[in-house]
Amino acid sequence: MGTSPQAAIEITAVHKSFGVTKALDGLDLTVAEGEVHGFLGPNGSGKTTAIRVLLGLLRPDAGQVRLLGGDPWRDADTLHRRLAYVPGDVTLWPGITGGEVIDLLGRLRGGADRRRRDDLLERFDLDPRKKARTYSKGNRQKVALIAALASDAELLLLDEPTSGLDPLMEAVFQQCVHEIKDQGRTVLLSSHILAEVEALCDRVSIIRLGRTVETGTLGELRHLTRTSIAVETSRPVTGLTGMAGVHDVVIADHHARFDVDTARLDTVIRELAPLGVRSLTSSPPTLEELFLRHYGEDGAAS
Amino acid sequence: MTGTARLLGFLLRRERLSLPWWLAGVTLLLFVQSTQSQELYGTAAELETLRQTIGANTAVIAMSGPPELLRSIGGEIVFEIFGFLAIVVALMNMFLVGRHTRADEESGRAELIRSARVGRRAPLAAALLLAGLADVAAGLLVFAVAVGTGLPIAGSALFGAAVTGVGLFFGAATAAAAQVFESTRAVYGTVAALLGAAFALRAAGDVGDGTLSWASPIGWGQRAYPFAGDRWWALLLPVAAAVLLGAVAVALLARRDLGAGLVATRLGRAQASAVLRGPYALAWRLQRGSLAGWAAGLFLAGVAYGSIAESIQDYVRDNPEIAQFLTGGADDIINAYLAVTAGMAALLAAAYGVSSVLRARTEETSGRAEVVLATATSRWTWLAGQLSVAVLGTVLTLVAFGIGEGFAYGMSVSDPGQVPRLVGVALAYVPAVWLVVGVTVLAFGWLPRPATIVAWAVIAYCAVITLFADSFGLPGWSRQASPFVHTPQVPLDAATAPPFALLTLIAAALVAAGYAGLRRRDVGY
Repeated sequence: MGTSPQAAIEITAVHKSFGVTKALDGLDLTVAEGEVHGFLGPNGSGKTTAIRVLLGLLRPDAGQVRLLGGDPWRDADTLHRRLAYVPGDVTLWPGITGGEVIDLLGRLRGGADRRRRDDLLERFDLDPRKKARTYSKGNRQKVALIAALASDAELLLLDEPTSGLDPLMEAVFQQCVHEIKDQGRTVLLSSHILAEVEALCDRVSIIRLGRTVETGTLGELRHLTRTSIAVETSRPVTGLTGMAGVHDVVIADHHARFDVDTARLDTVIRELAPLGVRSLTSSPPTLEELFLRHYGEDGAAS
Repeated sequence: MTGTARLLGFLLRRERLSLPWWLAGVTLLLFVQSTQSQELYGTAAELETLRQTIGANTAVIAMSGPPELLRSIGGEIVFEIFGFLAIVVALMNMFLVGRHTRADEESGRAELIRSARVGRRAPLAAALLLAGLADVAAGLLVFAVAVGTGLPIAGSALFGAAVTGVGLFFGAATAAAAQVFESTRAVYGTVAALLGAAFALRAAGDVGDGTLSWASPIGWGQRAYPFAGDRWWALLLPVAAAVLLGAVAVALLARRDLGAGLVATRLGRAQASAVLRGPYALAWRLQRGSLAGWAAGLFLAGVAYGSIAESIQDYVRDNPEIAQFLTGGADDIINAYLAVTAGMAALLAAAYGVSSVLRARTEETSGRAEVVLATATSRWTWLAGQLSVAVLGTVLTLVAFGIGEGFAYGMSVSDPGQVPRLVGVALAYVPAVWLVVGVTVLAFGWLPRPATIVAWAVIAYCAVITLFADSFGLPGWSRQASPFVHTPQVPLDAATAPPFALLTLIAAALVAAGYAGLRRRDVGY
């Protein structure tokens, strides 16, 4: 990944340890301007640490970090005028109301759109008059989300922003992200909810044990995935077993079920066609499955 | 009530680290008092002198207890220490019961527990049993220390039971308050107010004809007269009141939903006021309540000290042998007294300063600082916001003390000019207090994790130096390490600029050094 002038975020070979724990172990991450970038990884993989490095809250032990063309450690406060952040675990000041927190964060960031704020309050169905100590986890999350979404920030850093939201609110959130994308703003969305990432993201980076294991568009990543095929043929199925790229074959006379590397799909279909295909169902590769393969027991990437 | 026993075991486990400290505090307080009193007033003649001097001093009676206790050395010990033991035991009960009832409901832990096979009343019952066990333990420790330091067994048993009685009352009172209010803060506030009222009532009663003391749970314990008549029946009052309050708590519990109270929390503003717009405004908003509390406390302390200032003079006039212990002798007795009390106030103001600076650490570990620092707020601005409260708040608390002392003393000598004068005396300690604030900032910047312990250790050290340096015969260098020693003892000594300037300069340097640490370290760890 070369240095492109439009990169909003550029992390190269960043290391960060806390005592003996290695949180980031040579992380690479590039987010182009104007894209919604999914940042995927299981709990404890280093997503939050990476975002805190981007915010200049943590100083990397080694490696390069560029954010909106600046150094997040050195230029933290000037860069922060141009970004909005939603932490993964939102804690608020117990005695201050949600409405006050939203306004305060907007002002600290350098001003927020009053109309958009009120509109978001309505869409997320949040009572701004309640003191933060009485909010549930989901409502605290909404407060932080509304504060971030009401801003004009060029870049939004969202750390698992929908944890604690119900499906209805998740839909509202997705709508908001689409609007932001349409405005040409950049979003880094850390998540372990694959459906959300699939619905929103242009590109995805997968992080594991503090290191990027995969990065690319959803289409590119699908090449690393397997399509599940169930087929019924007029002649008995032969020759599938042992074919390159075909896995987990179960043959019962005229029926066969197997997984095939998506890149090999064409070859396998050609092999099946002469057998007289009566029916064929294929399940598209999901990020879910990709995810499982990266973190499943067979572990090793690609 | 299903599951009460199992819950009690769990609560004991949760309290295994903090409960021993409360009990150790009770033990230590009594041990020190008992050995010290027996050394000072061990003979009948010494006790008789004490009885005559104290019997006429309303201020000492207001701070301690009914003079009837002074009939024996054991009674003298109860007279001096019972009020403090009662405060420690009451606070222990407040936290024990509050933490495991309302605080658990507020945090949602209670929901998890109640969803298991646990009866509706079990958490309350377990919390009350826990507090009861702790109270019995405290009573047994009081008994053991009293007997161990050579006091009669019968009186010691009553003394221990009286301490247990105070504890039971406040435990049950906390349980009842926890049913009424939705927030833990309101519960603690109510119980603390109740404790304050209990102390004030018994002070007024003991100074007067004793009637008001019977309205105070602390008064009940004292008026059992351990070692001075042993009136066991007086303890029926705290036991009956505890049973009644416990029954009220259980009855109220049956009438409310989990998480709800009888008094609902009010709604707040939907929009932030124009004032709440930066890190300074936020810090003041967050700390205004505690600042007001500390300022009120120091004001009252000032009133208390100021009101007895004049009688100190009489006391010394009647007992000239005491004058030789005071710097300045009998002539300057009032000024010496005012200087000493200002020193005490300075310690309290410094404690406030430490707690205020440490709020920054709380903000950091809770993740709230992260939210602010992710905006255009720089680390310096954020820290400066927090420090503005500590720096100005310490001045405010000292002013409050000066006003209180000046007002009360001014009233007794009909001289309103004492108010500005004593405000000035208290303000002499501002640079020294700021220096302690600076040390806390330094610790926060460079040693964030042990910062809390380091800062409070500094306060404890200064307190030991101020209060005990002479009586313990500590070496000179150890005194020099306390900034309070370097403050001129106004109004006894003349105020000169160099020490103030130097202390302020060091304080500023410490803050700068602390910020340098904060700037280069990770936030949130």
